[in-house]
Amino acid sequence: MTALPIKSIFILAWRNLWRNHRRTLIMLAAITVGAWAMIFMTALMRGMVDDMLLNGIRDLPGEVQIHHPEYRDDPSINNSLGAADEQLVSVMEQPPVTAWTQRVRVPAVISSERESRGVTLIGIDPASETDVGFDAEDVKQGRFLIDADDKGIIIGAKMAERLETRLGKRIVIMSQDPDNNIADRGFRIVGIYKAKLASLEEMYVYAGIGTVQKLLKMDGQVSEIAITGDDYRKVDAWYPRIKQAAGDDKQVLPWYEADSYLGSMLAVMDGFVLVWMVVVFLAMSFGLVNTLIMAVFERVREIGLMLALGMRPATILSQILMESFLLLLIGLLIGNTLAILTIMPLQDGIDISIVAEGMEMMGTSSMLYPALKLQDVILANAVVLILGIITSVLPAWRASRYDPIEALNKN
Amino acid sequence: MSSIVCKDLRKTFQQGDETITGLDHVSIEIAEGGFVCLSGPSGSGKTTLLNAIGGLDTPDSGEVTIGSTRIDQLSKGELADMRLNKLGFVFQAYNLIPVLTAQENVEFVMQVRGVSAEERAKLSRSILQEVGLAGMEGRRPSQLSGGQQQRVAVARAIVSQPALILADEPTANLDTHSSAQLMDLFVKLNEHHKITFVIATHDVRVMRYAKRLIKMQDGKIVSDELQEQQPMAV
Amino acid sequence: MNITLRMAWRNLWRHKRRTWITVSAMVFSNLLLVFMISLQFGMYRMMIDNTLKAFTGHTQIQRQGYNDDPKIRTSIDDIVILADDVRDSLGSKEVAARGISFAMTSSEQRSYGLQIVGVEPEYEPNVSSLPGLVKQGRYLADMDAEEIVIGSVLARNLRVKVGDELTLLGSGREGSIAAGIVIVSGIFESGSADIDRSMAQVPLGYFQSLYNMDGAGHTIVVNTDEISRVTELQSRVAGIIPANKQLEVLNWEQLQPGLKQAIQADMASAWFMYAVLIVLVAFSVLNTQLMSVLERTREFGVMMALGVKPTRLGSLVLTETFLMSSLGLSIGIILGIALTYYLTIAGFAYPGMEEMAERFNLPARMYPSLSVLSILLGPGIIFICSLVAAIYPATRLFFLQPVIAMRAV
Repeated sequence: MTALPIKSIFILAWRNLWRNHRRTLIMLAAITVGAWAMIFMTALMRGMVDDMLLNGIRDLPGEVQIHHPEYRDDPSINNSLGAADEQLVSVMEQPPVTAWTQRVRVPAVISSERESRGVTLIGIDPASETDVGFDAEDVKQGRFLIDADDKGIIIGAKMAERLETRLGKRIVIMSQDPDNNIADRGFRIVGIYKAKLASLEEMYVYAGIGTVQKLLKMDGQVSEIAITGDDYRKVDAWYPRIKQAAGDDKQVLPWYEADSYLGSMLAVMDGFVLVWMVVVFLAMSFGLVNTLIMAVFERVREIGLMLALGMRPATILSQILMESFLLLLIGLLIGNTLAILTIMPLQDGIDISIVAEGMEMMGTSSMLYPALKLQDVILANAVVLILGIITSVLPAWRASRYDPIEALNKN
Repeated sequence: MSSIVCKDLRKTFQQGDETITGLDHVSIEIAEGGFVCLSGPSGSGKTTLLNAIGGLDTPDSGEVTIGSTRIDQLSKGELADMRLNKLGFVFQAYNLIPVLTAQENVEFVMQVRGVSAEERAKLSRSILQEVGLAGMEGRRPSQLSGGQQQRVAVARAIVSQPALILADEPTANLDTHSSAQLMDLFVKLNEHHKITFVIATHDVRVMRYAKRLIKMQDGKIVSDELQEQQPMAV
Repeated sequence: MNITLRMAWRNLWRHKRRTWITVSAMVFSNLLLVFMISLQFGMYRMMIDNTLKAFTGHTQIQRQGYNDDPKIRTSIDDIVILADDVRDSLGSKEVAARGISFAMTSSEQRSYGLQIVGVEPEYEPNVSSLPGLVKQGRYLADMDAEEIVIGSVLARNLRVKVGDELTLLGSGREGSIAAGIVIVSGIFESGSADIDRSMAQVPLGYFQSLYNMDGAGHTIVVNTDEISRVTELQSRVAGIIPANKQLEVLNWEQLQPGLKQAIQADMASAWFMYAVLIVLVAFSVLNTQLMSVLERTREFGVMMALGVKPTRLGSLVLTETFLMSSLGLSIGIILGIALTYYLTIAGFAYPGMEEMAERFNLPARMYPSLSVLSILLGPGIIFICSLVAAIYPATRLFFLQPVIAMRAV
């Protein structure tokens, strides 16, 4: 009897596992809780960050933005761009770019008969805007803008409340033209929108880009060009092409540079997920090591007997590692299942509106949609399995090094 | 006061599919101050009888009376109190609490009974001296020989000044010399303190000390005779 | 020393390695919790302090309804007189009145819509950190001067410097046109680009004449030295203000619900994580103590045969757990304090934190704040949960039959 076939090792390990079923069950419970917590918590966090990023990118808007080099520091009408030329348009029509739009974005004052407020006036091209930024679905009363020369304006529900105005009423927009003359114009409110983040409703009002350009005497100039592709994580694949086509006199920024808070978010999240998983594993590993040490301790005589019968130390080692592996595997199976079962019913979102204003500070909406990502599930399982086996090597190795005679005589 | 009366005791065990008869309608009376050996091969029922007398195990039917108390009718808690205060037990070797020293093992039972620390220390020292372990109070069981360990167990048993001591194979794992020393101690306690001894054993060396030798087989008493004590030369 | 205690202590060391591993699990979690909770407390405190100090203050007196819907007409009449009354009654200088409105603010080259705040130049420095952050020029001085202080980003965007003129254009209280010309007297740098871009302050007297406020204003900020006593302050102030003027006193949680909720949301997710750690430690203890009870079956059998009752044996097991947890608690706390104390001096940062910190008015390095609560809270819970986890192994002793137990190996 020298080396046992893997099947026999498996059977031995399996039976040994259930010799002390209470201990095994407690350890399984610990692994299950650990695996569940890793996956569940990560799904919640991922969901939150996804929401934050998608909101943020929609709000920027666009995965890549083109501005006048000074616009971002000084968002004035004087730092405008010429509309996209043929060369740029042709690049922006290539996949994976899915949509692009041009906007005028200027600071303005909005006044009703009773109140006035500072806002950002955004001139949009309704046809292309909806694929990049503003979602036409958000217009809850009235209608969305029809075309670039629409004479109406769309304001947020909160803003309507602040201004004590409503759909169909007129408001006055005041801003500055390139010569720093105050330009003003009355607009009829044709639509009222609701945003996921209520604070945005007070920040932005939307009008046709042509109308705004005419009001501000911009002569076809725009403030920004926003471009969106198929996946915000893969923006690096195509943004250099845009940068090249746009030329050196324009600033072209991907979203993660345009908003460094959003940009840092992804990396911070990845780091956090890994740290979280390792911490949970460590908290769990103490119990795992203890369980194995005990399992070896109570079987010293038995192991001595096996060694005396001529079994190789390597077989003892692999048998104990197999026990640990089975324990981890079963725990992971239950943990994964539990995680999926608890995340599934939450797919429609978790209502966290009691802390809505707090979540808004972080940039997320009041519904939390857990995002179960395959890569996170794989990572969690890999962390538990790989680190778990590594942790088990020491007790297993010690067991395989016993002196058979001493072990046999142990009381 | 501490005469033992067992009437028609019956006890069966389930082992796998088989039903084993531990006690088969056993009746016995043991007078105060007796020195009785229960002998017989393993499985003859001697330990079962001892446990029934000690209230560790309840018979399926029959009565056990110690003094004036029907102990088969006591609750678990009352039985525990009785064992703690009225009975002494000596088991097979290795039945000391391994983390406590000889003296602490003796004191432990007293502490449970609520004896003051001062009293405990005084009593445990004098008792250890009586069983011949003066100077070894601070040793842990693992630092004592088998015979010494059993004498600590005896000290622990007599500390509550019981009228009855039950011993189950007290000499198992002991060499001849240690066995003789232990039995001499039993005899001394029997004579000087009028403690009743009931000893279950299959060790012939022990049986020679008995004033009354009861032989059991298959849960029944097969012989019950009085005899002369024949201590071995130590 | 009591024999049970001695016995429990020695029992712990019958399996040195096992005990140390279980203690390590506790130490690990305790260390982590002391650090994390201290960091959280430090962070929340800074978030609150920085946010409130910049502008909001601890409490504010407002006209009812103003907080939900800040309109220029929802104002407090004779606000300066009321502010004086409050100052006298409280005997505190940390009281300042403000008026708040909007204006299109134009320099020669640029125009921006801005929030214009009218302040009492004498008292505003007592309630807000902004006046102290003026880096060029000076803060406002005269209650009626036609002056303005603005943030550094705004100054850059408007392309103005100290001494330049700005034109304000807005609407006054009764829908009148509010128009005026002010001189930039100072430029502040708060460190928050948001505040530096959007905030402008003028003297309250000038504000009232510009917006046709007729002596009215919108809010009176009342601060206290100790933020934890804010509720007390709130009720004191409520007792001072006239009852018939539809006024209310709001604390910072009501003024900045987002801040409170961000903290709550963060707390909730943090405690979910802590709970997982605590449960895992409890499982470790449960497993260890169950093993230790099961392997001593025979010993317990002997003790029961001697007349020791299960309750006593159960308390022995709990005492062992108590000692083990105390060990984990003390080592964990000592290491936790050492690590956290080091970080309260050295500070703590991780990549990407700067961007996140700015969002919540936090500095780029974080400093945990050690307090009795932050030290004891986590370890205390772990301690209790460990004891609770030992209850199951302890109750197993009640099902022990001495005769059978003694036969166990």
